[in-house]
Amino acid sequence: MKVIFLLNDLQLSGGVGVVIQHARRLSAIDGWDVTLALVREEDAPSWVGYDELPHLHVCSREQALAGHYDVAVATWWETVFTLFEVSADRRVFFVQSLEDRFYEDGEAERLGAALVLDLPVAFVTEARWIADTIAALRPEAQCYLVRNGIDKQVFGPVASLPETQEGLLRVLIEGSPSAWFKGVHTAIVAAAAMREPHHVTVVTGERRALGDVVADEVVGPLSHEEMASLYGRTDVLLKLSIVEGMFGPPLEAFHCGATCVVTPVTGHDEYVVHGWNGLLTDWDDVLGTARALDLLARDSDLLRFLRANALETARAWPSWEQSSQFMAAALLAIRRDPPPLAAPAAASLLADLRAGIEIHGKLLRERVVFYKQARRLERIRRLPLVRLLLRLRNSRSLKLVARPLRPLYRRARRSLA
Amino acid sequence: MADWQERITRETTPAIRAEHDLRYRLAAPLIAASAGWADLGCGNGVAAAAALPERPSARAVLVDIDERVVARAAEELGLPDAVCLAADLTDPDALRRIGAELLECAGERIVTCFEVVEHLSSFVPLLQWSVELAREGAATFVISVPNDAFWSIQNPHHLSSWGEGAFEELRRLLPREQTLLRQISLTGSAMIGWDGEPTRYELVAEIGGERAVASHFIAAFGPRHGELWRGAVATQGDVLGQRRWERQRENDVALAQKELDVLEQELAQARAYVERSSTWFAEWRAYIHELERQLSLPLSGAGPDELPEVREPPAESPQDQATPPQ
Repeated sequence: MKVIFLLNDLQLSGGVGVVIQHARRLSAIDGWDVTLALVREEDAPSWVGYDELPHLHVCSREQALAGHYDVAVATWWETVFTLFEVSADRRVFFVQSLEDRFYEDGEAERLGAALVLDLPVAFVTEARWIADTIAALRPEAQCYLVRNGIDKQVFGPVASLPETQEGLLRVLIEGSPSAWFKGVHTAIVAAAAMREPHHVTVVTGERRALGDVVADEVVGPLSHEEMASLYGRTDVLLKLSIVEGMFGPPLEAFHCGATCVVTPVTGHDEYVVHGWNGLLTDWDDVLGTARALDLLARDSDLLRFLRANALETARAWPSWEQSSQFMAAALLAIRRDPPPLAAPAAASLLADLRAGIEIHGKLLRERVVFYKQARRLERIRRLPLVRLLLRLRNSRSLKLVARPLRPLYRRARRSLA
Repeated sequence: MADWQERITRETTPAIRAEHDLRYRLAAPLIAASAGWADLGCGNGVAAAAALPERPSARAVLVDIDERVVARAAEELGLPDAVCLAADLTDPDALRRIGAELLECAGERIVTCFEVVEHLSSFVPLLQWSVELAREGAATFVISVPNDAFWSIQNPHHLSSWGEGAFEELRRLLPREQTLLRQISLTGSAMIGWDGEPTRYELVAEIGGERAVASHFIAAFGPRHGELWRGAVATQGDVLGQRRWERQRENDVALAQKELDVLEQELAQARAYVERSSTWFAEWRAYIHELERQLSLPLSGAGPDELPEVREPPAESPQDQATPPQ
């Protein structure tokens, strides 16, 4: 079985880490030949933090195009551009999140990331909510579920709960501060709003993007082993993400004896149960989140209950070995079954493209209207009298003289608006 | 030590035996109507024998990793002509061998595989083989896995963890024509006459709803997946056995703890002896080196890193405690 995974790069990230875990274990199966292809030119150093990489076959896009594979697997929407250039019997898109959600309204990438879900490929995904969404969008498409495993060598599960620190809630905030949907800054603000004694540790590999924040400790980047050790010294992981795929960090924390306070983000329902092994907090509710943390700081029984159940949840969670068995079974099934039909995929693609064009057209029309308004205003601004008035507007003495006229001016503006 | 009861025997607690019996009863109508039946991970055959009131007419292929228990299963089931195979279900060749034996039977075929998948180091070959046979319409499969999320401790004999999520992953790999069931634990009580005369009761139990947590998940796939029997099994609890088992467990744990304490004590003694000896050797070494220096001789003996390993602490007596010369 010859498999190629297409990656943009090998930068340390959750998504890349998942692919490497699978590639490493699949390549250990007799008769499996697994390659990682980097389809984008690298702009930063690779290999950092992945112990498994030296044992894997990594090649460039050009080298990948020269070979033939039983199954080619795209692992991020941009890598799908190469998926149909590679010679392969079957094509798979390993969906780790609905990636259009990473982009804001109006960004061109948003449409691109959504359209790749319409292609005639088989899907493998890591979360039930994604599988359900794909089933709703593409009922005819093959979609296999392969949930992420946990590296049980690194992340316990611990034999018993680590001791808490008397009278102090140890809060950990983790994530990329430059990714708007990770909610790192909101989490820091929520933790800072706590009234009970606490110690906040922020873990990030991007200190500059973090800026000046209120935290007792800022650490990172950390290796997996260091992260596990830190989770072991943590009572609660605070994650206020807006977008998540499988939502792995709370699960890692569970393995090390910590509980979590999280938003009801996609993926949380796979294992977080409010009041059983963690607490859910509402969207954008900074004060509510702080109150939930204060509750845990005050009620050591509740904290211990949640942590104990979190550890129990962790014990039943599969390892990477099991997860990769499901990946192997899924890829074998995809190779065994006939390739997906092009017509339903094309129909879906065109429908989404039309919707995309309509949205884009609406944006363009709005832009034309704004442009016309701007030009009209610009013409007015260039009139000698207006230019004089604008100059006078900044004059201090005139401001003093005009102060009594302000209410009149405001009323005039309101009526114009 | 704790009895994980991974093999069903006559001594297995009634609750676990009832669970296992029920799974075989589920498949009983299919076994009765089939020309061939393969039982993967058949064990001693105790549960199957209890669930199948009549000797199956189907040609039986009994499979287990342990050769001895397969023979015992054939005996238990009263099937002297059964094909007994000792096979590793992670080995594709072994699976092909089982398939060949099964396909020799002309007509309907059924394969039962209860509480086996979680014991395999890789379930991929078994999964591929079973899906292939089911898709071809060659056999109907009934498999079960435990709900590990239901237990608060890890089972040392389970090589994979199963729960709702893992079962969903499995379900998506099976043919679309499938029947899924949840096995639910029951609890209850009964009244009998003072003399303890055996009595037979028909029970009515309401089962299901939000609080119904599955102890096991069942999947059937293949041409006759929809023909599974549905029902419940209630059996008399073995309170005496349970009490004995609990006492035995407490006793075993206490004994093990005692043994651990003794070992820890011995370890502490050995550690103290090594420390004393090391100090004693160091002092002697320093004294000899000092003498050698005074006599302008090269320093003798091994360095601290090359000292021989101390294997056994000798019996301690005041005479053994040599003191270096002052």
